[in-house]
Amino acid sequence: MSNRQNCDSGSLSPLELYERVTTQGDKVRSLKAAEAPKDEIDTAVKLLLSLKLMYKATTGQDYKAGSPPTDFTPINNAPAITEDDDFVDPWTVQTSSAKGVDYDKLIVRFGSSKIDKELISRIERVTGQKPHHFLRRGIFFSHRDMNQILDAYENKKPFYLYTGRGPSSEALHVGHLIPFIFTKWLQEVFDIPLVIQLTDDEKYLWKDLTVEKAYEYAIENAKDIIACGFDINKTFIFSDLDYLGMSPGFYKNIVKIQKHVTFNQVKGIFGFTDSDCIGKISFPAIQAAPSFSSTFPQIFKGKEDIQCLIPCAIDQDPYFRMTRDVAPRLGYPKPALLHSVFFPALQGAQTKMSASDPNSSIFLTDTPKQIKTKINKHAFSGGKDTIEEHRKYGGNCDVDVSYMYLTFFLEDDDKLEQLKQAYTSGALLTGELKKALIETLQPLIAAHQERRKQVTNEMQALAQALIEEDHGE
Amino acid sequence: MSNRQNCDSGSLSPLELYERVTTQGDKVRSLKAAEAPKDEIDTAVKLLLSLKLMYKATTGQDYKAGSPPTDFTPINNAPAITEDDDFVDPWTVQTSSAKGVDYDKLIVRFGSSKIDKELISRIERVTGQKPHHFLRRGIFFSHRDMNQILDAYENKKPFYLYTGRGPSSEALHVGHLIPFIFTKWLQEVFDIPLVIQLTDDEKYLWKDLTVEKAYEYAIENAKDIIACGFDINKTFIFSDLDYLGMSPGFYKNIVKIQKHVTFNQVKGIFGFTDSDCIGKISFPAIQAAPSFSSTFPQIFKGKEDIQCLIPCAIDQDPYFRMTRDVAPRLGYPKPALLHSVFFPALQGAQTKMSASDPNSSIFLTDTPKQIKTKINKHAFSGGKDTIEEHRKYGGNCDVDVSYMYLTFFLEDDDKLEQLKQAYTSGALLTGELKKALIETLQPLIAAHQERRKQVTNEMVKQFMTPRKLAFEF
Repeated sequence: MSNRQNCDSGSLSPLELYERVTTQGDKVRSLKAAEAPKDEIDTAVKLLLSLKLMYKATTGQDYKAGSPPTDFTPINNAPAITEDDDFVDPWTVQTSSAKGVDYDKLIVRFGSSKIDKELISRIERVTGQKPHHFLRRGIFFSHRDMNQILDAYENKKPFYLYTGRGPSSEALHVGHLIPFIFTKWLQEVFDIPLVIQLTDDEKYLWKDLTVEKAYEYAIENAKDIIACGFDINKTFIFSDLDYLGMSPGFYKNIVKIQKHVTFNQVKGIFGFTDSDCIGKISFPAIQAAPSFSSTFPQIFKGKEDIQCLIPCAIDQDPYFRMTRDVAPRLGYPKPALLHSVFFPALQGAQTKMSASDPNSSIFLTDTPKQIKTKINKHAFSGGKDTIEEHRKYGGNCDVDVSYMYLTFFLEDDDKLEQLKQAYTSGALLTGELKKALIETLQPLIAAHQERRKQVTNEMQALAQALIEEDHGE
Repeated sequence: MSNRQNCDSGSLSPLELYERVTTQGDKVRSLKAAEAPKDEIDTAVKLLLSLKLMYKATTGQDYKAGSPPTDFTPINNAPAITEDDDFVDPWTVQTSSAKGVDYDKLIVRFGSSKIDKELISRIERVTGQKPHHFLRRGIFFSHRDMNQILDAYENKKPFYLYTGRGPSSEALHVGHLIPFIFTKWLQEVFDIPLVIQLTDDEKYLWKDLTVEKAYEYAIENAKDIIACGFDINKTFIFSDLDYLGMSPGFYKNIVKIQKHVTFNQVKGIFGFTDSDCIGKISFPAIQAAPSFSSTFPQIFKGKEDIQCLIPCAIDQDPYFRMTRDVAPRLGYPKPALLHSVFFPALQGAQTKMSASDPNSSIFLTDTPKQIKTKINKHAFSGGKDTIEEHRKYGGNCDVDVSYMYLTFFLEDDDKLEQLKQAYTSGALLTGELKKALIETLQPLIAAHQERRKQVTNEMVKQFMTPRKLAFEF
């Protein structure tokens, strides 16, 4: 679908919506014909359904293949697609709203707590550091037990960080950087150990991969993670396939967790069914186990009571709700959490950026040209159809993906605010906003690529080895 | 229930049966009141149901609490309880027949092959050794792919032995020795490596134990196993809880197997349900994995294609049917199997000897006096009610537990045959048969206790250290 110069319609025209539904329908069909992995098909199907919902909401008509919209009555004051249409689980994120998932409703639904101004001020006080812009801008927006963590820190009680990644074949995209950027900041500000889990066993179980290939991807992804700049003396990165077979603590905690979680529970939380393999069914315990310090006896000297803080995207929360439920029964402290919003796909915040959909993503391996092209061609715009309209009414930052990306990556608060005001007033055109983003992203990604080149196999092997953590734990 | 001198009735009198049902019913009630582990209750319930069946078959009446049998019409030519009543899974063995499980029907049901004279002769030819009396007497009675193993041996292709034990708190009983006695003989005759798995993780998952206690039991049980006389240079004994966390091969094979087995399958094979914990559901893969040589890279130098021979009791077969089904999909050779009959409980071959039922068992820790008392008091007799009847009609070796035990432990074929003929003819009385058994068992158990005393913690450690054995691959 070509974009007219200047901008896409803030809300797509019926015809454009119609074309998008058609395109997505074709995509689903071709994925099925190619016997693509089930989750790819599921993601595509969910997007298709969402687009159809949008089509109906906009035109008042049901989408009919071969029947492009002609006369239609725009529905005024139609109720926004309710938040009940937000679908969030660890494998799929889906909403009909162009603004993205309603995070306030998600907090209520998940039972977490909003990261409010008060908490952000407290973090500033306790750490003596200006809070990261992710906190200030609501990119990390929800938490569990963060106040408890701050209490511990004030009382000089230790805690540690835990985050992770499911290593996949595709390169990482810029959305993948978010938890790592924030985790790095947390590590610096609190000066604490960090463990990073590469769930290559999960990928083996869910994807059509050999064990060897899954492990290979883990090593490759580790390089990108290291390129984010973690302190080698304070960070342990591990592959499940590897570390499970060389840790006195990991398997014992896994089997303890597995004893206290039933199939009914994981069915309810993750949607497993009787035809799922027993590996998938028992996997959640493996993502849970690093939440407990006894999983890393070499780092924590066998101590079992050191609390864990987990920065992650909100779709990972189900694993840790389950973990927090089990922890007391094992006599372990519950992990605390910091949740981030999803990184919106290029074509709109209805879905998150996904490595399996190249047009939705800007990859860490993209060239400056590719970055420019993708943003110009595919980044969903909140601007108006014509320059005149745009000057008059201004652009909508709530749905504009380029603006959203700037909130993630433009560190300067003032510059960001300027762009927001200028765009909203219409003074700044879409093309100019996109230019600002391109000029922010190109150096960022180029710098990452440079650091990644420097991550030699040697350095990576060091990071992967069991290193003695000398924090006096 | 006291035994009248000389013998119990070969078939119990209706009143005795009635009393047994009552006693068993009381036992079930007290187990439930004490909130005993589910499997203990299940075993007791199954025995109760079986006794009720026997009662009905003998008296023609349904058992009614508080209504002992008075007048009854014995059913002549009543059909024997059909083999459909034989219940066999890894946790429960149950039959109504006093002769024990019908093993020929079990072979048909399980799809294994009978160890016939031809195979036994071939074993003799190929090894140049007289076949163990367990083979000659049908104690190891069934197999899968044993001819393939003999082919490999003839072609100087390597293979290895794998057997195991679920370590429990109770001491081992004489029945537990059977697979180990036979495995030791196989190791000597074929001169091959042996791995022995102690499923302490299984016990943790199924029993009310801590991980530490389960591991403790594994170490204790290892001492009894070592006391059977395995060659320290050819044997690796491992605890799952330990070895999983120190093997580059174990977890990888587990996750491969777990990917290829669905919940539906383990539901069908093992009877798991939705309310079972995810640890139980995924456990079968852990018992399967040692069937593949890549689980022991330090022994087999990373070779993946070395076939495995598994001597075990027939109730373990479900684990290995599942394993044999998965093996080709992983590109691994299917394990071969040698199945043994169950070791009958003291009170009769309807159930197997069980450590959780002290009166059914002779323990390796029993004193000579305890051995004598248990056999005299509790061993079910195939003799007649009175000496006169016994002299006239003789005893029934098919149901006599003391005779059955002699087939296991009296190595001298001629002596055994003498006893059989004398007892069957009535020349030998029950008490004398029992005396022969007592005099066989007492030295056997005493010798075991002596060897166990000689097992040091150092030896245990050595047996349990992952290491290269005295074989080149």
